[in-house]
Amino acid sequence: MEPEVISLTVNGRRHRLLIDPNVTLLQALREHLGYVDVKNGCEKGDCGACAVLMNGKAVNSCLMLAVQAHGAEIVTAAGLGSLEHPHPIQEAFADLGGAQCGYCTPGMVVATKALLDEIPHPSEEEIRVALSGNLCRCTGYGQIVEAVRAAAEKLAAAETV
Amino acid sequence: MMPEFEFWRPQSLAGALRMMAEVAPQIHPISGGTNLVVDLRGGRQRPRVVLNLEGLSELKGIRREDGHVSVGGGISIAELLGSELVYAYAPSLRDAAGVFASPLVRNRASLAGNLVDASPAADTAPPLLALDAEVQLASQAGSRWVSLDEFFVGVRKTVLRPEELLVAVRWPVPADGTRFGYYKLGLRKADAISVVSAATAVEMDEKGVCVRARIALGSVAPRPVRTKAAEAALQGKPLSEETIRQAARLSAEAVQPISDLRASAWYRKQMVETLVARLLRQSMESTPRMEGKNGA
Amino acid sequence: MKYTAKPLPPVNLPELKQVGKPLRRVDALSKTVGATVYAGDFSLPNMLYARVLRSSLPHGRITRLDTSKAAALAGVACVLTAKDLPQSILVTDMPGQTGQKRRSGSDAQVLAGEVVRYIGEPIALVAAETLDLAEKALQLIEIEYEALPAVYDPFEAMQPGAPILHAPDNVVARWKIRKGDVRAAMRTADLVLENTFQAPYQEHAYLEPEAGVSWIDERGVINIRVCTQVVEHFRSISLAVGVPQNRLRIQGTMVGGGFGGKEDITVEIFLGLLAKATRKPVKLVYTREESILAHSKRHPYVIKHRTGVMRDGRIVAAEIEMVSNSGAYVFLSPYVLLYSTGMATGPYRIDNVSVDALSVATNTPFTSAFRGFGAPQVCCAYEQQMDEIAKALDLDPLEVRRINYLRKGDCTAHGQEITSEAWLEETATRVLEALGEPAPDQGPIKVGQGFASYMQSYGRITWLHDTSQAWVGLEMDGTATIRAGVPDLGAGQVSALCQIVSEVLGVPMHSITIYHTDSATTPLSGTSTATRQLYMSGNATLQAANTIRKTLLERASKYFEEDPQNLDLADGKALVKSDPGQALNLKDLITVCAAEGLPLANLAMFKAPFTDPIDPETGQGRIWPDFTFGAQAVEVAVDTETGEVSVLKAVACHDVGRAINPGAVEGQIQGGSSQGMGYALTEDLSVVDGRIRAGSLSEYLIPTSCDFPATQTIILESGSGVGPFGAKGIGEPAFTPAPPAVANAVANAIGVRIFELPITPERVLKALGKAP
Repeated sequence: MEPEVISLTVNGRRHRLLIDPNVTLLQALREHLGYVDVKNGCEKGDCGACAVLMNGKAVNSCLMLAVQAHGAEIVTAAGLGSLEHPHPIQEAFADLGGAQCGYCTPGMVVATKALLDEIPHPSEEEIRVALSGNLCRCTGYGQIVEAVRAAAEKLAAAETV
Repeated sequence: MMPEFEFWRPQSLAGALRMMAEVAPQIHPISGGTNLVVDLRGGRQRPRVVLNLEGLSELKGIRREDGHVSVGGGISIAELLGSELVYAYAPSLRDAAGVFASPLVRNRASLAGNLVDASPAADTAPPLLALDAEVQLASQAGSRWVSLDEFFVGVRKTVLRPEELLVAVRWPVPADGTRFGYYKLGLRKADAISVVSAATAVEMDEKGVCVRARIALGSVAPRPVRTKAAEAALQGKPLSEETIRQAARLSAEAVQPISDLRASAWYRKQMVETLVARLLRQSMESTPRMEGKNGA
Repeated sequence: MKYTAKPLPPVNLPELKQVGKPLRRVDALSKTVGATVYAGDFSLPNMLYARVLRSSLPHGRITRLDTSKAAALAGVACVLTAKDLPQSILVTDMPGQTGQKRRSGSDAQVLAGEVVRYIGEPIALVAAETLDLAEKALQLIEIEYEALPAVYDPFEAMQPGAPILHAPDNVVARWKIRKGDVRAAMRTADLVLENTFQAPYQEHAYLEPEAGVSWIDERGVINIRVCTQVVEHFRSISLAVGVPQNRLRIQGTMVGGGFGGKEDITVEIFLGLLAKATRKPVKLVYTREESILAHSKRHPYVIKHRTGVMRDGRIVAAEIEMVSNSGAYVFLSPYVLLYSTGMATGPYRIDNVSVDALSVATNTPFTSAFRGFGAPQVCCAYEQQMDEIAKALDLDPLEVRRINYLRKGDCTAHGQEITSEAWLEETATRVLEALGEPAPDQGPIKVGQGFASYMQSYGRITWLHDTSQAWVGLEMDGTATIRAGVPDLGAGQVSALCQIVSEVLGVPMHSITIYHTDSATTPLSGTSTATRQLYMSGNATLQAANTIRKTLLERASKYFEEDPQNLDLADGKALVKSDPGQALNLKDLITVCAAEGLPLANLAMFKAPFTDPIDPETGQGRIWPDFTFGAQAVEVAVDTETGEVSVLKAVACHDVGRAINPGAVEGQIQGGSSQGMGYALTEDLSVVDGRIRAGSLSEYLIPTSCDFPATQTIILESGSGVGPFGAKGIGEPAFTPAPPAVANAVANAIGVRIFELPITPERVLKALGKAP
C-alpha cells in the first residue's frame, strides 16, 4: 500500500500530508495533524462526536477516508472560535449549559454551525432534526436546543448591526 | 482494523469504468463512504483497490426528461431531500431521505451506495420500487437498464456485475392523481435502522378506481420487496376499506420476515398489515400524509 | 383530574451573591471551543499503543495460551498475561480506604488466569509501536479454550448443580429487612396485592470511551493520565502493578461522561503494567464496541412485591423479594443490593416490612455502579406497585401515595430517621399540576399520564466513613486557587466548588483557578459517585474558605474598626455591610495579612457521619447521610396498532435543598430524565446466553434529540440538606423517577401494565393481546 500526498486546509491552515489510503479523516485529523478537538465516540457514524465541516457541510469524519479530503476545506470546533475569541455559538453553549461533560460538544457545535448557515432562524423541530446525528448522554438536549436558539438570535443581531 | 488497499482517482466515468474492468472483482467504488468505511474497518470488505467516484460530474444531476425523473447515482441523500423534482415527483422518496440515518450521514451517503449495499433495510428502496424505478448499470462494455425489482436478488446480493457501476436511477413521472405513502417504523425517533418500512403508490382515475398500485416493503424479506398479489388485488377496483384490508392482509401473507435483535417475525408481519392498510387509507381519504418518520 | 401544587412551608433561605446564580461553569467555554484535552487526546513521543485480548466465551478454561508469535512480531514491545502479574486478583477495597473493619471481597481477575467467566473478560495485553501492529499482535496470540457449562440466569445459578462461579452457591450478597410483623399485618389487610417487576440491564453509553496514557517520569513514578471517577484507585492500581502507593500517580482528566461506568478500574492497571514493563509511554483507548464489552452494566433485577393495604389506601405490610444479576464477578453488587434493600419500599411509611434481597453471579457481563445504584430498579417496582394498588382500590394514584408518604421525622423501612424535608406531596402535586390535562386520544393513539415519587440517598453509606479534603488559598494579587481531588464527570463538580469559594471569599469566578483530580498534587476528595461530591467536597471547600474568611474579616475588623459580623467580602473587596462605600481591596487586605504571617490558605477535611453497619438480621440502622425526594410526571401517546410510544410531555420536580448553580441543576434533571426515559423505552442491551447483542450505538439506542421533548424542570429549595448552604444532591435523583413515570403513563394509556422494561412496541402489542 502506497501512501499519498494530500493537501487540505484545516481551520484556515494549509496542510500537506503523506497518508495511507486506509486512514480515515478522523484519524488523520487527530493522530497525524493533532486536531484532538475532533472526538472519536464510535468510529461508525452512530454518534456524531467526530463531526467537522467539510466544504461547509457537516459530516462524520470517521466515515471518510483522509484521501477523500484532498483539496477540501475542513473546519473543526476549534476553528470556529477560541478561549479568547469564542464564536457566538460557543458562547451560547457555554452560557446556557449546552456542554456538560463536553465530549459531544465539538461535534454539536459543528452541526449547529451548519444548521445556522442554512437556516438562520430554525424552529425547535428543525434544530432537533439537524442535531439528530449528534448523541448526547448528559444534557437530554434541552439546554442544547436553548443554546442553539440563543446563538441564532445572537448571530441575527450581529447581522443587523 | 482497516485492510490495506490502493486508492484510485479516475478523472471521468469512462476512466472509472476502465479501472473497474481492469481490476474487478477486487475493486470497490467509494462515494460518500458511509457504508464502505464501516465495512472496511469491520473486515467485511477487503478490496485491493478502492475507486473514488466522488466528484464525477456524470454521476450527479437530478433531471426530468423523456417522461422520467433521472437521478445520478452519486447524488447524496441530502441532495435528494432538498430536490424540488424529488419533492414533486417522488414524495415518498423524499420522506425516506428525511429519515435516512442522520443529517451528517445524509450529507455524504449516495443513492447508488444505498442501493448497491442492498441491505434488506435500505431506506431508498421501497419508495423507488413503488415508483417502478430502474437502475442503470454501466461497464466499460456499455450500459443496461434493469428494473430495481430485478436488481435485488438476495440479502446484500444484486445483479450488479463485479465490473459494473450503478450510475443512475430513473422512474417514470407519476401520473396525476397518484397518491404516495411512506412510513419507517424504528425503535427510536431518529437515526434508527428500520424494523419495517413501507412505501405505497396508488394511481387512481377520475372515478376513484385504482389504475395501478404499488406496495413495497423493507426489512421483512431478504431484499426490499413488492407484494404483487396485493397490488393485483387492488388493480381495477376502487379503494375502499374492504379492498384496503384485503391488500394489507395479502401483503402480510406474502412476506416471511425473520426475528432478529430489533423485532420478532410476528411483529414485522403484523406491522406490514397495519402499515400498508394505514398508508392506503390515507391515500383513499386524501388526509394529510403520515409523516415519513416514526412517532405520533 | 385537576391537581394543584401543595403550598410550600415558609423557608428562610439566606440571600446569596454567587451561589444560586446560573453562572457559566468554569469548564464550559473550554469544552465548547474544543480546548479541553480528554484522556484519549494526549500523546507523548515514543508512545506505544496497547490493545487487550478478551474472552470470546462466557465460561471456559484456557487450555492453551501462546503469545510467542505476538511477542516476536517486529514492533511489538511486550505481551503480558496473568502469569506476568504481581497481583492477579483485583483488590478494590484497600486498608484504610473506608472505615470498614471487614473489607469487602473482590474476586475479579486483573487478567484471566485459568478460567474466563464472561465474554469480554481481559486475558492478555499487547503494546506495540503502532495501533495496527498492536492489532496484528493480538491476532497472533494463540488461544484455545475448553468450554465449561455456563449459567446465565440468577435463579438457575442458585439451583443445585449449577456451575459455581462464586462459592458456595453463586450468591455474592444478601441483605434483609425485618421490621414489625408482616405476617400478622397481612392478615389484617383488606387486600393483598402481589406483582413481580423486572428492571433490565443498562449500558452507560457515555460519549467518551475509556482511555488513558501512562508513562514513567524522571522520579521513576508511574503516571497514568486517565478518565476516572475515583482518584483513590491509585492504591489498588499500585498494588496490582507492584509498586508502592506513592510511586503511582493518577492524573484524572475531565471525564466525558461517567454515570458509574468509570467508577471501577477500567484501563488504569493495564496502562500501569505496560508502562512498567516497557519503560515507555503507553496509550490505551477502547473502541466503542470494546467499551460496551469491557465495562460494567446496571444490575438487572427481578422484584416481587406483596403488599397488604386497607380500603382507604393505607399500606399495612410490605413483603419484597428481589434478585439481582451480579454477572461474572462481585464488583459493587453488595452495595448496589444494599441501596435496593434500604429503599425497596420507597418513600412510604410502612410499619411492617420484610425485604429479602440476593445478588447472584452468572456468566454474563459484570454489573456494578450506574446512576442510582440499585435505587432506580426498586423505584420501578414500588412506584408501579403503588399505581396497581390505586387501581385495585379505585383510588386516585396521588391519593394513595399521599396517605402513605414519609414525613420529616418518620423512619425509613431500615429504621433511619428522615431529618431533612421530605417534600413528597409538594413535588408530586407540582409535576401533576404542570402536566395538565392529557391530550385527547386520536383513533388508535391512546394518551396516558403517569408519575412517580421517589427517594434517593445522597452521600455514601455512612459506615464507609467517608471524608473529603479540599485546599483553598489566596494569591497575593487577590485571585484564589483551589486544589481538590474531585473528578469532574460533566455535572459541574469542580465549578460548584469555585462558586462556593466565590461566595465566601468574594473573589469573582473568573479569578478562581481550580486544580483537580491529581493523586500527587491535590488533596483527596473521594469518589465522584453516590451523589456525594457537592455534599462532601462542597462542605470541605466551604470549611476551608470559611477559615480563610474568618482570618480576613478578623484582620479587616481592626482596619474598619467594626465587628467582623458587620463586614463582608464581595466583588474582590472587604466592605462594611451597612456602608458598602467603606471598602478595602481584597488584594490589599491579603498583603497585610501575609506580612503579618496570617494564614491565607487552608486544607479542610469534611467528614460524613461515621456509623456502624446495620444489623444483618433486621437491616435496621442508619445507612446514608440523607435523602433527596422528588417526582416526575410523564404524558405518553401509545399507538395501539404499532405499539410505538411517544413521550408528549415530561415534568420533574426535585427538592435539591439549595441549587448552587440552577443552570447546572436543570441540566442534571433534564439529562437524568432523558437517560431514564431511554431506559424505559429504547435501551435494550439484549444479552442472550451471556452475549451482548446490542454491541454498538446503532443497536443500543440511547435517546437522540428527536426522541423526547425537553423535561420541564421545577426546582424546589427547602434548604434542609446537609450539603453546603443546605444543599442536597441531584445527580442520581434526576434519573430515578423517570422510568416508572413512563411505565405508569403507558399503563394508564393502554389500560394494562407491562411488567418489564424497555417498553418496546412489541411488548405493547403483547400486552394488548395482539401477539400470536
